[in-house]
Amino acid sequence: MSNPLLVFWAVFSRREPRGRPPSRAYIESTNQASSTIFLVMRRMRAPLITLIVIFSVSVVGLTLIPGIGPDGQPARISLFESFYFMSYTATTIGFGELPWPFTPAQRLWVTFSIYLSVVGWAYAIGSLLTLLQDRAFRQALAMRRFTRKVARLREPFFLMAGYGRAGELLAKDFDALGEQLVVIDDSSDRIDALELGSYHSDIPGLAADAANPHHLNAAGLEHPSCAGVLALTNNDETNLAVTMTAALLRPDLPVVSRTVSAPIAERMRAFGTPAVVNPFDRFGEHLRLALNAPASYQLLTWLEAGPGAELPERGRPPTDGRWVICGYGRFGREITADLRAADLEVTIIEPAELGAPEPGVIVGDASEPTVLARADLPSAVGLVAGTDNDTTNLSMLATARRLNPQLFLVARQNQPTSAALFEAMRLDALLVPTEVVAHEVYAQLSTPMLWRFIQEMPARGDQWAADLIGRLRFNCGEELPALWKIKLDREQAPALGGWLAEGRVTLGNLIRSPEDRARRLRVVPLLLLRGGEAVLTPDGETVLAGDDELLFAGQGSERRELESTLVIDSTGAYVLFDEHIPSSWVWRKLSRKKSTPSTLEERQDTTSRQG
Amino acid sequence: MNLEKVIFGFFVLLAATLNFGFFIGDIDNPALHNIYELFAALAVSLIATVLKFGDRTQIGAVHLATSLVADLQLIAAGVVWVWASEISDQGMTATHTASMVSLSGGALLANLVSVILLVTETVTFHRG
Repeated sequence: MSNPLLVFWAVFSRREPRGRPPSRAYIESTNQASSTIFLVMRRMRAPLITLIVIFSVSVVGLTLIPGIGPDGQPARISLFESFYFMSYTATTIGFGELPWPFTPAQRLWVTFSIYLSVVGWAYAIGSLLTLLQDRAFRQALAMRRFTRKVARLREPFFLMAGYGRAGELLAKDFDALGEQLVVIDDSSDRIDALELGSYHSDIPGLAADAANPHHLNAAGLEHPSCAGVLALTNNDETNLAVTMTAALLRPDLPVVSRTVSAPIAERMRAFGTPAVVNPFDRFGEHLRLALNAPASYQLLTWLEAGPGAELPERGRPPTDGRWVICGYGRFGREITADLRAADLEVTIIEPAELGAPEPGVIVGDASEPTVLARADLPSAVGLVAGTDNDTTNLSMLATARRLNPQLFLVARQNQPTSAALFEAMRLDALLVPTEVVAHEVYAQLSTPMLWRFIQEMPARGDQWAADLIGRLRFNCGEELPALWKIKLDREQAPALGGWLAEGRVTLGNLIRSPEDRARRLRVVPLLLLRGGEAVLTPDGETVLAGDDELLFAGQGSERRELESTLVIDSTGAYVLFDEHIPSSWVWRKLSRKKSTPSTLEERQDTTSRQG
Repeated sequence: MNLEKVIFGFFVLLAATLNFGFFIGDIDNPALHNIYELFAALAVSLIATVLKFGDRTQIGAVHLATSLVADLQLIAAGVVWVWASEISDQGMTATHTASMVSLSGGALLANLVSVILLVTETVTFHRG
């Protein structure tokens, strides 16, 4: 931004706190926590009063008992001396007999009060320590700390309910992007794991039931900076409750919810428009995409895997032939439907008797070799091991591979601990439900443009995807580069304003190096969004207009070069039109040369007048 | 009859009466202000404060505040007495006595507010 006033304007105009008064529910949730503290204070009444009484009696008693002064005359010690003596005696510090040696009568009283006060102190301190160890009290303190931490957040954050395997993967991805999270999980072990996790930002975590709206409020559902809600617990009911609460209390927030059940998904959609992620459903779609368009599938998994991911290998799945599916649960059904939709023949092995006998269904335990043999594996092309038991799946895969080494093997991994075993099997496709959820949510929330891209991508065909992968590898290397977007508006591209309006900016000219415009920047434009219309991989001839949004893939250094073109007038003129114009105002006035990018001077005048 | 209310009322009133007993008399005459009475007023006031812990109502909060004020004033009066009788060379002069007693007078005001609150609470509470 060439005009410093514009910088200030941009900085301060972004701070628009949405004046949302805290709801009653929010106040109640904090009250709940403070009531426990009131209870603790109430329980401390008896020990404290005991202590005060014991102290007063001992102090007054000691002053009333006659003693003998240093001059041998009878003298009583004063209230202050007595208070001093009792203070150090009762707290077991014991400096001795001050201010002068006591008489036997005084010693008798002191002996009595020592026992009394030690008991009083022990009672008071003991009660206090017991209360501090109290579970309810500790929870109340944790809740207070968490609520305060969340209330102090000033940057946008995502509220994540459920910190399981998927939550952990997502937290890592979002943390790498610099996004703030707030986590709520009903298991305190998982919250401990969150605190032990090495994240850049401090992620507040609360061990509480996410289905309770009070807890969600404490986690910042009503917070003006809350940018979205992720319901990722293992429990569908809880996810439904979170979706419902978010939709009713904050209808403006995007909600992403995980479920493996279609009826629950329907119920979730009854509340607003949550993005429901069903890992089985998505995996079936992915598998179908992998069968039809291996390169599209490769690109999809690469983009969804997050920044820094290695390019996955391109599988070569069989395009026709018979598939064997073991386990006809929710996962098996989704896969079967997807495979049948792709016109593939399917044989199902299911241990339990299904209601009506369907064609191609073999009843029996698929882990038994005799049952597998009935499925005639040598003539099949693929096998899906989709039961909810990892041991069964692994033994099935091993048997199947022995019977037909050419089989395309697909498996479902249920436990994170089995990851090493499944990896050692070198399978062709592996479903890890938690990872599917994490990648899906990442794609939806990290940049909305990436999600748009992923949705429109399969329609472009396999060859297009293969070409794009080639371009990405050529420009950015084997690891997935950062994806970033720019918007060609006054804030992000102040240097281009007039030229954009005249239609003189083409994408090909824009992505040239500011140091040498003959060199093309090593970035790949993935998506151009103009007024809701999306253009995938726009080419160099595309004429850009104001308020266009672009999604790029490229390294950070290239991004900074592009940004300097967008922000600095003289750089923009050079990069776009090969024009050299003086960068300072004085030289511009002195040179008096009407610069070829004619609108430059006029635009400068208007902005300075407005600024 | 609620035993808790009896104890509470007893201590609040006792704190006020002891405080009044200490405060009454010529402000600068040490002979009229017994230090033991101040000590008793302070001890009872502390007990009354602890009794007010953990009350979540609005009136409970004001009760606690007045008690804390009384404690603070009485402790200040006690410190003045210690200073005058043990540390300063002149002993209990009229000035020292006056400042000690006036501090306890402030505490008396707070204690009176406490008593007024107690009475108001009782009057507004029907069918007690």
